[in-house]
Amino acid sequence: MVASALAAGVDRRAARAPPRSSLAWVIAIAGLAAAGTSCALALMSEIAAELGEPLVIAMLTVWLTLSYVLCGLFAWWRRPASGFGRLMIAAGFATFGSTLSMASSDVPFTIGQALDLLPPVLFLHVFLAFPDGRLRGRVVRMLVASSYVAAIGLELVRMSFGEFGPHNLLAVQAKPGLSDAALKIQLTMISVFCLTGIAVLVARRWRAGRPLRRSIAVLVDAFAFGLVMIAFLLVSAAFGGPWVPQIRWGTFAALALAPLVFLVGLLRARLARSALGDLVVELRADLAPSDLRDALARALRDPSVELAYWLPEFATYADVDGRPLDIADLGRGRATTLIDRKEEHVAALLHDPSLQDEPELLGAVTAAAGIAVENGRLEAELRARLEELRGSRARVIDAGQKERQRLERNLHDGAQQRLIALSLELSLLEQRLGGDSEATTRLDQARREIALTLEELRDVARGIHPAVLSGHGLEVALESIAARASVPVRLTVELDGRMEERLEVVAYYVVSESLVNIAKHARATRATVDIAREDGQIVVEVVDDGIGGADTERGSGLRGLADRVEALGGRLRIWTPRGGGTRIKAEIPCV
Amino acid sequence: MRVAIAEDSVLLREGVARLLGEAEMDVVAQCGNAEELLSNIRSHPVDVAIVDIRLPPTHSDEGLRAALEIRSRQPEVGVLVLSQYVELGLAMKLLADSADGVGYLLKDRISDVKEFIAAVQRVAAGGSAIDPIIVSTLLSRRRTDDPLEQLTPREREVLDLMAQGNSNQGIADKLVITLRAVEKYVSSIFTKLRLPSTGTESRRVLAVLLFLRN
Repeated sequence: MVASALAAGVDRRAARAPPRSSLAWVIAIAGLAAAGTSCALALMSEIAAELGEPLVIAMLTVWLTLSYVLCGLFAWWRRPASGFGRLMIAAGFATFGSTLSMASSDVPFTIGQALDLLPPVLFLHVFLAFPDGRLRGRVVRMLVASSYVAAIGLELVRMSFGEFGPHNLLAVQAKPGLSDAALKIQLTMISVFCLTGIAVLVARRWRAGRPLRRSIAVLVDAFAFGLVMIAFLLVSAAFGGPWVPQIRWGTFAALALAPLVFLVGLLRARLARSALGDLVVELRADLAPSDLRDALARALRDPSVELAYWLPEFATYADVDGRPLDIADLGRGRATTLIDRKEEHVAALLHDPSLQDEPELLGAVTAAAGIAVENGRLEAELRARLEELRGSRARVIDAGQKERQRLERNLHDGAQQRLIALSLELSLLEQRLGGDSEATTRLDQARREIALTLEELRDVARGIHPAVLSGHGLEVALESIAARASVPVRLTVELDGRMEERLEVVAYYVVSESLVNIAKHARATRATVDIAREDGQIVVEVVDDGIGGADTERGSGLRGLADRVEALGGRLRIWTPRGGGTRIKAEIPCV
Repeated sequence: MRVAIAEDSVLLREGVARLLGEAEMDVVAQCGNAEELLSNIRSHPVDVAIVDIRLPPTHSDEGLRAALEIRSRQPEVGVLVLSQYVELGLAMKLLADSADGVGYLLKDRISDVKEFIAAVQRVAAGGSAIDPIIVSTLLSRRRTDDPLEQLTPREREVLDLMAQGNSNQGIADKLVITLRAVEKYVSSIFTKLRLPSTGTESRRVLAVLLFLRN
């Protein structure tokens, strides 16, 4: 339930599309036209001339309009999920609107004048809405709404009192005293709202209670102090104050550079590429689950990151150690991003909400984390399967071993005993016959046949299961093999007592098969067989001085040996350089 | 001559008993397992005990353990171990430090009645009977600088029979040569292999087997 609700939230965010290109072009061209218009107005305006530097004013208006519109457009395109780009575009056009007050015809002038104090309020709005374009909290929304009322509403009131010269279409009745009072109230209110805005920003940072995640946020915050300058400027304009021209230029500079700062702040994710690269490199290495969280924290530059694994069979989240986690509780005041792989939910990432402003970074990191988590899960699953497989392989071999033992026993107790008894019977019969030489010869012949049959049966039985091994252990069983080998064999067995039978059987086959190979292929002059118990394992080593270059895959039976050894969790290694002899080493763990 | 038999196959046990009976030996105990045999010969000592190496309950090494126990507790009792496989390692375990009154034969050998009776008698008399397979395994063993290469084919035959526990007279009978000739071969073999000459035949067996084993 929680997971699907969260997933829906994530989907809704992702559904926001960037502006269509036609719309983007219209906005850009409108922005250019607006900038051109305000430039022309500024150059012709008397007010600009009064302020000194008409060219500077013109450039400034062009810059403010264009930079907000174009930066806003770019931000909208890159961050469609955030309303901030659209807000910046609006701010750009509002700036243009306010420059209309420099026009000499009635309608544009009236509109421009009505919007005259809109820019500082928009500035406040933009800062409070950074970075996602939304105003959080009722107080903040009230603050911004009141600012708009003060900037536009009171302006309209003042215009109705007949200020602002002949082009003011809204003039109703000239009341200079009241207008002056309204101006003071208006400017004071906006100043207070700006300072309140600063207080809100400071409080927000304070509440976050963590070291600033991004240095760029510091820069944005620094520019927010432009709001203080606006407040000062407005109060100075209303009541008179020192350093007005310097502060005015400072304010203009802050306002002019702000769009770039916002843009950089918004697109910060691009700069996080290298961090992401580091993460991918770290994930490629064999990463322990607890290190995964740290790696993610580093890549996201958010030390508070927590990773909760989704356990489908329990329908709950758990931490690395499998302890259940309540992410509804943990996620309070933090954002949750779900990590899915192949349409399956695998984990959730709890992180600082501000990371949602960097969807690319978050997306890339969660994708990488998804792979890592899935890898970890697959590895665990694979390990479990391997363990199961090893167990079942050992069981199959054990069962085969028991079956072979049973067969050998049956042969021994049945056919072989009967044949011996039969042969004995024939002998006794032969003795009774006394001198009948023909009968004696035929009985002898029959006994020889039985002897041959017994010999063959013995070979078969030994092939099925070396009974001497079960009865008397490895050393006794190997002594005959070594003595019958095709080359002189030095046999060293250093074991204290018997081992588990299946270990003995594997060790026996490693030696016997190796000696058969030596006889068939090695062209050796001697061989050594060493068997010892070392560090909890049985080590069987067969070395010859032959031609080496043994075929380890086909024909030699070495593959089958390796299978037997591996079934017991051991390993078989073969060194067989051409011309350098062959060394076969089996290491089998003994419990 | 008093004989005890331990063999879990009734068919074979009775066959062997009959065989020995016909050779006028006195089979005083027929046992189905090792414990029965041990308690029997402890109370009624015998000249020789014929023991199957695979006996109940586990059919692994009960027979061998019984044989070794008899050899250490009642050295005067000869032990002839029978098995469906003969293993060099077991032969050496059984002989340990003496070949006196010990035999180790493939079970098939019982059907060669004359030879088998001779082996039983030899073991009962404190001699030894080592299966030809053991000896041939040892003789055919590959060695570097093989001292056996110095032996003539005849000397090898004599060595083979000697290692099986045959007396000089036994060897002479088998090879149809004179006792004197056998003695000559034996002394030549000992010289060539640089073995010190030993007193009894069973000591000679042990010395030769140990020599061949190394």
